[in-house]
Amino acid sequence: MKYGEEHHLKVLFTREQIQARVAQLGEAITGDYRGAGELILVAVLRGSVYFAVDLSRRLEIPFVLDFMGISSYGGVSASHGIVRITKDLDSNIAHKNVLLLEDIVDTGLTLNYLRRNLQTRNPASLRICTFLDMPARRIVNIPVDYCGFTLPDLYVVGYGLDHHERYRNLEVVAALK
Amino acid sequence: MAVITISRHFGSGGELIARLVAEKLGYLLVNKSVIAGNMRACGILEPELAHFDEKKIKFQDGEWDREMKERRRHYLAQLHNFFYDMAIRENLVILGRGGQFLFHDFPPALHVKIIAALQSRIGRVCRLYSLDESAAVRLITEQDRDRETYLRQIFGGDWLNAELYHMVINTGMTGPEEAAALIVTAARLRESAGEIPVQELEERLLEQFASPVCDSQGGGILYDAGGNVPLFAHPSETEFARMLDFYQIKWLYEPKTFPLEWDSEGTVTEAFSPDFYLPEQDLYLELTTQRQKLVWKKNKKIRRLKEIYPDLQIKVIYGRDFKGLLEKYGIKERGD
Repeated sequence: MKYGEEHHLKVLFTREQIQARVAQLGEAITGDYRGAGELILVAVLRGSVYFAVDLSRRLEIPFVLDFMGISSYGGVSASHGIVRITKDLDSNIAHKNVLLLEDIVDTGLTLNYLRRNLQTRNPASLRICTFLDMPARRIVNIPVDYCGFTLPDLYVVGYGLDHHERYRNLEVVAALK
Repeated sequence: MAVITISRHFGSGGELIARLVAEKLGYLLVNKSVIAGNMRACGILEPELAHFDEKKIKFQDGEWDREMKERRRHYLAQLHNFFYDMAIRENLVILGRGGQFLFHDFPPALHVKIIAALQSRIGRVCRLYSLDESAAVRLITEQDRDRETYLRQIFGGDWLNAELYHMVINTGMTGPEEAAALIVTAARLRESAGEIPVQELEERLLEQFASPVCDSQGGGILYDAGGNVPLFAHPSETEFARMLDFYQIKWLYEPKTFPLEWDSEGTVTEAFSPDFYLPEQDLYLELTTQRQKLVWKKNKKIRRLKEIYPDLQIKVIYGRDFKGLLEKYGIKERGD
């Protein structure tokens, strides 16, 4: 059985469409931050890694690529009652421009926490760039500054998004049926 | 395994009555000193105990607040475990501490409320504590407010709700001996009414303590943004509140009811209370896990709500959305 055939995957965005959109985002971000000093790109582990790599290649400004990871909600059986940082930034972001990179914004719960956490470190500015936005699932309103694609409420995989750790490495974005 | 819970207004003589009942029936009296002895063995000492024992807690923001919640959670877990362990082995008279809520569905339990008019309590408190009248009034008001709020925070219940009790005794009209005799008679009548097999009682007790009123999923007590413990109507709401807590989003449970329809005399005939309010977002959330065909009625109400209160922000989380959320976090759905 070929990889991906155990689920019915419907391709929503091809490799070419994704690369074209990422290039547009890179161009927009380059324009907005040109001459504004060093930019810190904060990629949220693990889903945004593919997006962060491709997007950073399209930037024509100086930047530092850093990573941040937080624990996910695990229900009542979770050992901790509150979210934990599993990988903190290596960079000091105080007085720097920060661009938070997400693979997908859906409920906004994770991003709301990350945004508040990063704000306490006094960045000069903090903006959000997401590859996918799913506003239909939003619980907490979060301002998204840059967005690759807006999607209706679908379960999607590929380009960093997984289904039980599968399909992250697909070069396309597909809906899992 | 019989349990008599005695809830009392401060200065109503509840402690004395509890002691008399315990002596007459040969039951163990669980009062402040017995609890303190047990808590000491669990590492909870004075002055921390005095801070938590039947006391309301006013929560603020920040790290101290989180630590305080954790410590009280630990205290309550130890206290309620102690009640459970004792109830399995002994016949008890439990003074205060929410016994009427903890043993609410336990068949052999007898729940008693001791009340008295303020004037008669003032006299008793003046004599017992050598206070003048105004100091006695202050002490009574403070103690009653603490006890009432404590029960509301922990169990989400109103201690003045007469439906919680088998008997309410007014010690302004009844002396302590007479009050104790009434309780003893009631307890003996209940004893002789029929034996429930011990195994069944143990199961009932376990069931009751495994699912305390405030947290039906056994995951520790959930506090809203005001430091209160809400009584959730559905396990999905508990799960959702826990999720919001996890991501440190402040919430209140059903804080406001919005009138939707009025009759010709202006009396509200239909109203709607959204499940959650997120104060930082100024957003109301309605969680509905009903089957889709039953949702139309709620949708109709929400449409009406938006018409009457156009500035109000409200979002509906439907059953399939909530299911998707649980799937995302790898959680199996509970309680539906």
